[in-house]
Amino acid sequence: MSSSTTEKTISTGPVVDVTMPQMGVSVAEGTVVAWRVGVGDRIEAEQAICDISTDKIDTEVPAPAGGVVAEILVPVGETVEVGTVLARLSVGGERAADGVSGAAVPPAPPAPTAPTTPAAPPARAAPGNGRRYSPVVSRIAAEHGIDLSTVAGTGRNGRVRKQDVMALVDVDGGGEVSTAAAAADEPPMHIESPYRPDPAPPPAAAAAPVAEIADGGLSRMRRLIGERMRQSLQTAATCTTWIEVDMSRVEAARARLGVTALAFVARATIDALREHPALNAWLNGDDYARVADVNLGIAVSLGEDGLIVPVIHRAQELSVEGLAARIKELARRARARELTADDVLGGTFTITNPGQYGSIMATPIINQPQVGILDLEAVIKRPVVVTDGEGNDSIAIRPMTILGLSWDHRALDGALSAQFLATVKRRLEGLALS
Amino acid sequence: MAVMTYLQAISSALRDELRADERVLVMGEDIGVFGGAFKVTDGFVDEFGTDRVMDTPLAESAIIGCAIGAAVVGMRPVCEMQFADFISCGFDQLVNVAAKMHYRQSLAVPIVVRLPSGGGFSGGPFHSQNPEALFMHSPGIKVVAPSTAEDAKGLLHAAIHDPNPVCFMEHKHLYRRVKGEVAEGVYETPFSARVARAGSDLVVIAYGAMVEVALAATEDLDGASVEVLDLRSLVPLDEEAVLDSVARCSKVVIVDEANMTCAAGAQVAALIAEKAFEDLDGPVVRVATPDVPIPFSPPLEQAVLPGVDRVREACRELLDY
Amino acid sequence: MATETARPAGASGETAPPAEQEHLRLQDRIWLLRAMLLMRGIEARAMSLYRQGKVPGSFYDGYGQEAVSAGAAFAMAPEDRLCILHRDLAAHLIRGVTPARILSQYMGRAAGITRGRDGNVHFGDPRLGCVGMVSMLPDMMLVATGMAMAFKLRGEHRCALTWFGDGSTSRGDFHEAMNWAGVQRLPVVFVLENNQYAYSTPVDKQFAVDPVERAAAYGFAGLTVDGNDVEAMFDAAREARERAVAGGGPTLIEAVTMRMHGHAAHDDMKYVPKEQVEEWRRRDPVERQERRLRDLGVDVDAVRAAVGEEIEAAATEALAGPMPSDEDVLEGVFCEGEAEPLGDGQAPWSGFARAGGEV
Repeated sequence: MSSSTTEKTISTGPVVDVTMPQMGVSVAEGTVVAWRVGVGDRIEAEQAICDISTDKIDTEVPAPAGGVVAEILVPVGETVEVGTVLARLSVGGERAADGVSGAAVPPAPPAPTAPTTPAAPPARAAPGNGRRYSPVVSRIAAEHGIDLSTVAGTGRNGRVRKQDVMALVDVDGGGEVSTAAAAADEPPMHIESPYRPDPAPPPAAAAAPVAEIADGGLSRMRRLIGERMRQSLQTAATCTTWIEVDMSRVEAARARLGVTALAFVARATIDALREHPALNAWLNGDDYARVADVNLGIAVSLGEDGLIVPVIHRAQELSVEGLAARIKELARRARARELTADDVLGGTFTITNPGQYGSIMATPIINQPQVGILDLEAVIKRPVVVTDGEGNDSIAIRPMTILGLSWDHRALDGALSAQFLATVKRRLEGLALS
Repeated sequence: MAVMTYLQAISSALRDELRADERVLVMGEDIGVFGGAFKVTDGFVDEFGTDRVMDTPLAESAIIGCAIGAAVVGMRPVCEMQFADFISCGFDQLVNVAAKMHYRQSLAVPIVVRLPSGGGFSGGPFHSQNPEALFMHSPGIKVVAPSTAEDAKGLLHAAIHDPNPVCFMEHKHLYRRVKGEVAEGVYETPFSARVARAGSDLVVIAYGAMVEVALAATEDLDGASVEVLDLRSLVPLDEEAVLDSVARCSKVVIVDEANMTCAAGAQVAALIAEKAFEDLDGPVVRVATPDVPIPFSPPLEQAVLPGVDRVREACRELLDY
Repeated sequence: MATETARPAGASGETAPPAEQEHLRLQDRIWLLRAMLLMRGIEARAMSLYRQGKVPGSFYDGYGQEAVSAGAAFAMAPEDRLCILHRDLAAHLIRGVTPARILSQYMGRAAGITRGRDGNVHFGDPRLGCVGMVSMLPDMMLVATGMAMAFKLRGEHRCALTWFGDGSTSRGDFHEAMNWAGVQRLPVVFVLENNQYAYSTPVDKQFAVDPVERAAAYGFAGLTVDGNDVEAMFDAAREARERAVAGGGPTLIEAVTMRMHGHAAHDDMKYVPKEQVEEWRRRDPVERQERRLRDLGVDVDAVRAAVGEEIEAAATEALAGPMPSDEDVLEGVFCEGEAEPLGDGQAPWSGFARAGGEV
């Protein structure tokens, strides 16, 4: 586009783009043959504003809306790709009405979730302490007499990749390397590090993905989290419902037991899930399945690296103290990168707890394919209206929190989510005082 | 050497063949005076006349059947299906009459069926299909699918010279978007695969329009060395080239624009599983159009067709594995 | 020519055949009988082999319809091309396929025309200008149309001929072929072999209007012929061929006949009224030609005896032949060398010999 055209810009109000139309499935470009209007001209919707020529036919381009020609961006004689903006129309405070022609269609609604191709089956821990190895890794190891249990893996969940075992072949000089290029691009940092006390980590403790900062880009973990979160929002019909809870009794009880409020919330949540099993479920496409066990995911922040959600399996079998201990242990192992694949798989419901930093409300994103996630924020002392046994109201200072439940409207409705929250509230406020 | 679009390369091959071999004729709907729905035979009538650039009745079964008849008495017909989708109306003639002829009675059927295929243009369910796998499953038909202008011309020459029925899958998306240097005159591109870009960490196996997608998706993939193998020919399938790439790269992503189930890529995946098991360092990953008709509306169509993002993500996932 | 049909004669108003045939010499008329006798005899022998367990799969014959293929094929020149249907064995015999190869074909033996790759009557000898049929009927109408298209494009004095049944007229390929041939005025002869039944389906469930009338709608000639009169069949095909090679376009010949056996060997034909079979038995095409020749003083019994001997010798030869080796069962899916077009067939009609190098 030439500068002479942009100088003639008129800018008033909303604009509608006029684009080079596609005049046949294989047509990629078109040439502006003539402009029938000039900048500043007032035009009607459907009025022909320019003539174009394509490989297939010559035609005119009708205005997608009435208004004033604000800019002409493609001069006569210039050939541009289909979709290129030819001109902008100022439509004077009103968006083009419905029925706008193809040149200025509103942005398409988000596409239904693109069918994803699972690149790999979910990482799965082998029975016992054994790891599974790919055919090529097994073959190279056998050819070079390498004990794979001593090899550190750089793949997902510590999986030993071809380049890991090839690096050993190179280091050991254990034979000719027919596919030397395979390992050349990724220096085997872990293996060469002088700080490593042991040649390999224990096989059973496959490391959680370790974030590696790419030059100027997101770490692999950040990228993964981003992708999962985006995917969840595209997949689920996410709604968030909040409820206010008086945490007086929780505060008293936790002081007594020496555990965090999270453990009480977890227990109350498990009870509520048993009462409303519709929320303890997985929804994959149209496949909706309630799960008998409550496998409770607890989001654990790993600081700048991201977060991970270890799972307390069969959480319904644990007391508040038991839950507190498991949460503590899982958080420690998560931060020490000691979680195994089993530790992060199979969750049926998740609790996230960023409230420790003082925030009071959030809209969490559902951990797919679960149908709900509970958000626990800060417990803050606030004046509230309390009613005594005789029905007398007074204002009191109470430790309050706001619980947020993000739920998938595909799986359930608002009434159920509210009932679920009310159950959690009832259980937290009704804790025995003893 | 001249720079041509993919479409011009196809036209050029047809024109060269019509000039060089009086047995060659092109036949199809609206290909004569109008020059074809995609203008592949634009202007041909003026040079070769209406007999050799034949406007046929709207009858796909008849186009294929008459081509078979002409072929067995010495002609070299090149049929155009207006869209690949319409081959369903000529399916019987192609798979029952043409494909089985040589095996049954040693009678060769040298015909070429040009199939403008593929989606991405809001063609909807009946102007977007990739039916190549149907013919891979019919012994006796060769199937080729060029991705570049140079190969489009060379493969079409080779197809016309071939003594067997050949389905020539020409992708509509590539017609005017792909350009390249194309040699003058008649030359043959072999029915074998081509390494579009050499690499060593992972190989993307594709054909037709998906080669371009594969190249774009893996151009800069966090520094990984990604090979792209352009199959070019589906029947015969260049097993050696596939196995060679897998042996070097050990990780494989196979991309089809066709619907997933039993697509060409499924055959490639099966081949790798059977003959390259010990070379694999990860699951064989497929990216293809899910098993739905190709929807019309752009966001819906884009949601199902394999694009650069999906291929890139699949490669990333597998590289991380 | 006669129109001794199942229905009232068509509008052609043709009369009974003359005692002397303008285009057929005595040797030709004997040839026609011989072809029909060979067909009937080979099929009878094959049926007995079938019952003896020597013929795998199913077995189809053309008992009672011999005149349709014999008469039409006899009118075809060596350079003409034929797509032959499954009840038209006489056409193969006239083109030059030997009885021993046919019996070998039925038995799936190595010496069969398809070397065991296809069965029963699914064959055509490409060297003799014939394309073997496929089971999807009438696919070969289009192949014949395409051959005729090539002849016309190249300006050749040849035609293509194909047979198809009454059931075939219901399918789209019938329309596509008739239409294409009409639009391009191609030198093709369509022989509609109306034998009253498509498997068990009678013609009144197949079409509301006699398909011969459709020819006019496609813009070319259509006529109904007594399909049980071999000389009438010959005449109709000869005239159609003349029209074709003269640029007069296609012809649809409806040969009215009767399938006297079941669809295949397993079919007892219960669905056919006995009277209908009896009526058609009186019009047997072989007996009719024998009567004709006896009246002309021909020793028909000697012809019969010679044919019988030929068939027995063929059966002996075929039975002695090996089954195909499975060594090359995967070979030949594709042609590896040059594509060889169809060759010329035998054409015993004296008319071609008389014409000498003209054809």
